[in-house]
Amino acid sequence: MSLTITCPVCGKRDGYEFRFGGEDKGPRPEEDSLTPQTWCEYVHLNKSVAGVQKEWWVHKDGCGSWFTIYRNTVMNVEVQESEACR
Amino acid sequence: MFGKYKPMWGEKTQLKSSYDVVIIGGGLHSLATAYFLAKEHGITDVAIIEKNYIGFGGAGRNTAIVRANQRTQYNVPLYKEALDLWPVLTKELDYNLMFNNCGNLNLMHSEAAMKAARMTIATAQFHGVESHLIDAKEAKELVPALNISEDITYPIHGAMFHPPGGVVRHDAVVWGLARGAAKHGVEIHQQTEAIAINTSNGKIVSVETSRGSISTNKVLISAGGYSAGLIYKMLGIKLPISVLTIQAMVTQPVKPLLNHVVSSGAYHCYANQTLKGEIATGAHMDHWPNYTTQTTAHYIKHQAEALSEFLPCLRGLRFMRIWAGLADMTPDMAPILDGNDQIEGFYFNCGWGYFGFKSCTASGKYMAQFMADGEAPDMIKPFNLKRYEQHKLMGETAELVSYTPNN
Repeated sequence: MSLTITCPVCGKRDGYEFRFGGEDKGPRPEEDSLTPQTWCEYVHLNKSVAGVQKEWWVHKDGCGSWFTIYRNTVMNVEVQESEACR
Repeated sequence: MFGKYKPMWGEKTQLKSSYDVVIIGGGLHSLATAYFLAKEHGITDVAIIEKNYIGFGGAGRNTAIVRANQRTQYNVPLYKEALDLWPVLTKELDYNLMFNNCGNLNLMHSEAAMKAARMTIATAQFHGVESHLIDAKEAKELVPALNISEDITYPIHGAMFHPPGGVVRHDAVVWGLARGAAKHGVEIHQQTEAIAINTSNGKIVSVETSRGSISTNKVLISAGGYSAGLIYKMLGIKLPISVLTIQAMVTQPVKPLLNHVVSSGAYHCYANQTLKGEIATGAHMDHWPNYTTQTTAHYIKHQAEALSEFLPCLRGLRFMRIWAGLADMTPDMAPILDGNDQIEGFYFNCGWGYFGFKSCTASGKYMAQFMADGEAPDMIKPFNLKRYEQHKLMGETAELVSYTPNN
């Protein structure tokens, strides 16, 4: 499916060079006082937004960097942060 | 489609301001739930509200395959019941659902796959579902077009043969259930979008739609691939779901050559011949969540490569049409059927991934019972949302399905 992704190191590249890394859920929860609910939320639960979401990708067949982008899940296009947060 | 014509299932009705039950989504799981609510439980004051038209989503886009050779003790009985319901519903609805009981042949391409198949078959047989392990020669006898030579990328070691499965005409199920439900008093409102669900003191009170507000104290969201997004947007409940686009296509029609559903995990390809003669085939999915239902040349090429290896007589055949639908994938490849817990009167049925068609009859039957009693029937109790935080994921796949770089 046609998709281009902008890697912070390599620039705009074909989406098939990357792997999706999940919705952005903020930092990993602290180990102390970790509850099954919090862990489940971090590991499994998604918002499944039909619209713009912040998400992780890794440039698997490239430089290997991990980074976040904003993407419109309905149009399947990457969007600028300024546009996403409007 | 929405003009002055009378729908085939009955008269058009005005949307009322109150119903006993509101069902969001006009797909097969919703229609089946409404049908069983009205017929089995006498709850007839039901409105199905559908943003587009009934059968717009997965109901009309799947490859129509039905089977009950799943992997775990919870899933097999549910799918078995769904399979057993096709002939029953054909009679009950007085509508030809065109169940073609041709059987499914699931190809295995390694000794490890044969071992996994042995376990799946043992589970099926334990639950009274017919399923056998056969070798490559026996598979060739069933489907003479198969290439069982060693000269393909993934030579065929054997197959899991499941005679009770087959193919059902999916549109007929949509129409049959719509007519059956309407006959019992259910109202179907197309072109009606659910916008919000209102709660008060942890209870459902009303649903806002594009055609006005409906007061109700029971709501079911059963909108296929759109469910997870709607449930989060309207009620803030997050689900362990990733929504992906899955593609399928048909070739030009040819003489009868495939009298079983043939599928292969290694080739990421499944195929059956329609009554018209086309080879209908479905593919793997791009792994990033999206709601596009876009089709791509990538998968046409992929299907052509796969099919021309294990069914070489299809080489040179042309693809005529390609389409796509949404699959709402859960980590354990098992659905989520839950309700009356997070919010009183709120029920949801989703996460079927690409198994939504083959399960719709049983899922509708048990969701209806759930909504009538307020308590989950034993059959679907294990499919609750809590299983994820309790680490009681179902073993429908050996490895968790997560749309991350590890997958």
